[in-house]
Amino acid sequence: MSLKEFKDNNLNGLLKTVFVSLFTSFIVFGIVYLLKLRFIDNFIPKYGFFIFFSILSYSVIIPAIKQVRVHNDFPCMGGMMIGMTIGMISGFLPGFFIASTNGMFYGSVFGMIVGMGLGVLSGKCCGIMGIMEGMMAGFMGGLMGAMTSIMMFNDNLKAIGIIVFVISSVILTGLNFMIYRETKGVDKKPTDEMFNIVLSFILTTVTIWLAVFGPRSGIFG
Amino acid sequence: MKNTTILLMIGILVFVVGGFVFINSESTDTSGTDAQIMQGETQRVVLSQDGLNYKDIVAEAGRPIVISADSSVAGCLRSVVFTANGKKYSKYLKTSEDTLVLPSLSKGTYSYTCSMGMGYGKLVVN
Repeated sequence: MSLKEFKDNNLNGLLKTVFVSLFTSFIVFGIVYLLKLRFIDNFIPKYGFFIFFSILSYSVIIPAIKQVRVHNDFPCMGGMMIGMTIGMISGFLPGFFIASTNGMFYGSVFGMIVGMGLGVLSGKCCGIMGIMEGMMAGFMGGLMGAMTSIMMFNDNLKAIGIIVFVISSVILTGLNFMIYRETKGVDKKPTDEMFNIVLSFILTTVTIWLAVFGPRSGIFG
Repeated sequence: MKNTTILLMIGILVFVVGGFVFINSESTDTSGTDAQIMQGETQRVVLSQDGLNYKDIVAEAGRPIVISADSSVAGCLRSVVFTANGKKYSKYLKTSEDTLVLPSLSKGTYSYTCSMGMGYGKLVVN
């Protein structure tokens, strides 16, 4: 089984989901920006980079969740890998970007909630082991993302944000390939894009609200 | 729809929004620039470490403060963050020659931390 087969059979659906997620999030961002955010002093310099990369992060996490939902039945090892990867990355990235604007406490809490939520949602495809793995990875990823951001606050924070995003994207692409390999020949459950649109909408809205209007730790006061 | 078409659409979306964000990422806030901070005679204050935190420091009101760190300050405590009058002033004071300039402050006690928020200290302005 090669990457070429994956490209021919599976990539189209993933790219469509990336596009749908990006489109939804950018529409939300655009509307909120025009109505409210453009009146905030220095909105783009302060928050633009972190909100933009949060949106990009959601657009690479959501296709992996969709892949899991399409099959929804994996052996224990595969399910643990799914729960761990999605939990860790969906905790790390939001934690990192929110901690950059709101501080370590709020970044950690947000990262843990998103990471554990999406980790459990994805990990339950293989039962309790996947659920536990999703919870543990989301818990760890949320804290780690926020901590990394604060530790690098005065040391090329934006550059490390880009590097972390690229590495996470590569890992999630690997996970998508693994899911494709594990489920080759298995019937797919029909799904539409509504779940992905709703998830993108919720994550983007909460991220924007939290980054711009949310509570902040002492050093951001 | 072909993969290349979707990729192109994704690329255009990211390029347009990313371009907008990066073009506008230059701050227009000039209230914290060195030119304004450096007005008036400056006073020099040296930070020292006391256990896991900073020693408290004292400065005079109405004069800009130039802050440096001596060799007792180690690790992440060399990356210092002050918040005064709603603005954040931060710098990595890698050597004793590196300085962070604060504007003149009014009387009061200001807290400061390392960039991780783990080490604390107080700046007392008389």
